[in-house]
Amino acid sequence: MIGFVAFSLGRAWQGFWRNALMSLAATATMVLMLVLLAGFWIIQTGLLSALDFTESKVEVVANINIDEGPDTIDALGARIAAMPQVAAVTFISRDAALARFQQSMKDQGREDLSKYLDTNPFPASYEVKLKDPSYSAVVSDALRQDPAVKNVLDTKETAKNVKTVTDIMRTAGSVVLLVIGVIVLFIIVNTIRLAVVARAEEIEIMRLVGASDAFIRWPFVFEGAMVGLFGAVITLVFLYLLADPIGGFMVDFFRVLPLSFGSLARDLIVLVSAAGIGLGVLGSWLSVRTYLIR
Amino acid sequence: MTLTSTQPAAVRSLRDRLRRRTLDHAAADRAVLVLHDVTKTYPNGKTALRDVELVIPEGDFVFLVGPSGAGKSTLIKLLIRDEIASEGSVVLDGQDLARLPRRAVPKVRRKIGIVFQDFKLLPTKSVWENVAFALEVTGTPRRRIRPAVDRVLALVGLTAQRSQIPSQLSGGEQQRTAIARALVHDPRLIIADEPTGNLDPLISWEIIQLLLRINELGVTVLMATHNAEVVTALRKRVVALEEGRVIRDEVGGSYHRVD
Repeated sequence: MIGFVAFSLGRAWQGFWRNALMSLAATATMVLMLVLLAGFWIIQTGLLSALDFTESKVEVVANINIDEGPDTIDALGARIAAMPQVAAVTFISRDAALARFQQSMKDQGREDLSKYLDTNPFPASYEVKLKDPSYSAVVSDALRQDPAVKNVLDTKETAKNVKTVTDIMRTAGSVVLLVIGVIVLFIIVNTIRLAVVARAEEIEIMRLVGASDAFIRWPFVFEGAMVGLFGAVITLVFLYLLADPIGGFMVDFFRVLPLSFGSLARDLIVLVSAAGIGLGVLGSWLSVRTYLIR
Repeated sequence: MTLTSTQPAAVRSLRDRLRRRTLDHAAADRAVLVLHDVTKTYPNGKTALRDVELVIPEGDFVFLVGPSGAGKSTLIKLLIRDEIASEGSVVLDGQDLARLPRRAVPKVRRKIGIVFQDFKLLPTKSVWENVAFALEVTGTPRRRIRPAVDRVLALVGLTAQRSQIPSQLSGGEQQRTAIARALVHDPRLIIADEPTGNLDPLISWEIIQLLLRINELGVTVLMATHNAEVVTALRKRVVALEEGRVIRDEVGGSYHRVD
């Protein structure tokens, strides 16, 4: 068994370099396809996190009557938190609301108008984060009925629009990614098939001298895996060199914090390596199969 | 060039022994190859072989002759199980090839050494590597490859050329490399498909002499050829095919029918 694996690996290595031009052409195709795949993946991820970010902004704000006592306010908070559609609820006290207003004025470099006020005009409020933007209507309607609530600010229309856009983007993105995957598969399989066809004579000789299918197949499969691995490594190096410009672009364009980049890089390494090796193996498996079925 | 005078005595006595043996009724039991009532029809409806009966006993040397398209290539494809007979049975060394599971095919092929007109050598490998290749790809342990390859290269007289690649060799040397490769598995049967087709007459005789010597060592040889001179001169067993039928099977025959 070890002898067989060593034999196959050795032959794969020889085969790769013996047909160096063909192998490098296959590797180059692989790199091109993986860059395409990875590029699309990055865009898709950026788009989705931008959408997630927008979605997370969809919330319902319930302003509380100014004269409600703390007991009523606590009870209201508990009722909101108990609603099944609610992900999180934050209490903003009247003082906090004022402080926030003052801070935002200061940030914008404008005069703090609140200093002309005798009393704090801001109501206390609950900021309600929803599990899904589509719950916006249900939750805000329920809150409007509540006697302790003065009024409800909801982003119903926004929520609806965001929801539509996200759904379309998710579906379209998955479809495009799938289509690209299939195209990549075809191109890779055909490139590897060319490399295998170039060695048809060798396969024929192997069959004639009584080599078992495994001995014919595995060197080619390993060779395909090598093409995939080399392609993946080159692609990842390429992406690594481009990481900073891409990161800048993502932050500018999608307005996402580079927080998610750790997981994006990890996902990309897994995606590119798995796609590269998988396509290489599948490509050579399919190509050699033509010669083995007799 | 007369051949009878150049034939070693041992070959002649073997031939006589074989001639007696083909008459022996029990010969079929010891046969390397038995074709019974074999018909091969290709999917396109063309019938390449009809009702072929052929018994080749161990140690025989058989010429397979006939015009192009007579069915020689199809017959050889059946023997190496590249094709399966439509009717009848092909039994190689006691195994019915039609009933053989696919995974058992490689093992059967190792009992056959096959030599082609175009040599089918790997152009980037040396003589030694080409021969060793046949053992490597069948999973032979490394320590057994070296002595086996050295032995067959000595047998075909290519020890000195072991490190050369095919393009550095003459046609005869390339064919001897192919014969060495065919022999390295210790096959029961050597099938030579027009082995001298690409070689000039002198080199052809060299190759024939080599095949005869291998036959003397006990390996059965089946040689398909168009080379009338060789067939007629050697007076070996001749099986003639025409339009897919065996029209003649005689020991000591010539290329053409002698009426």
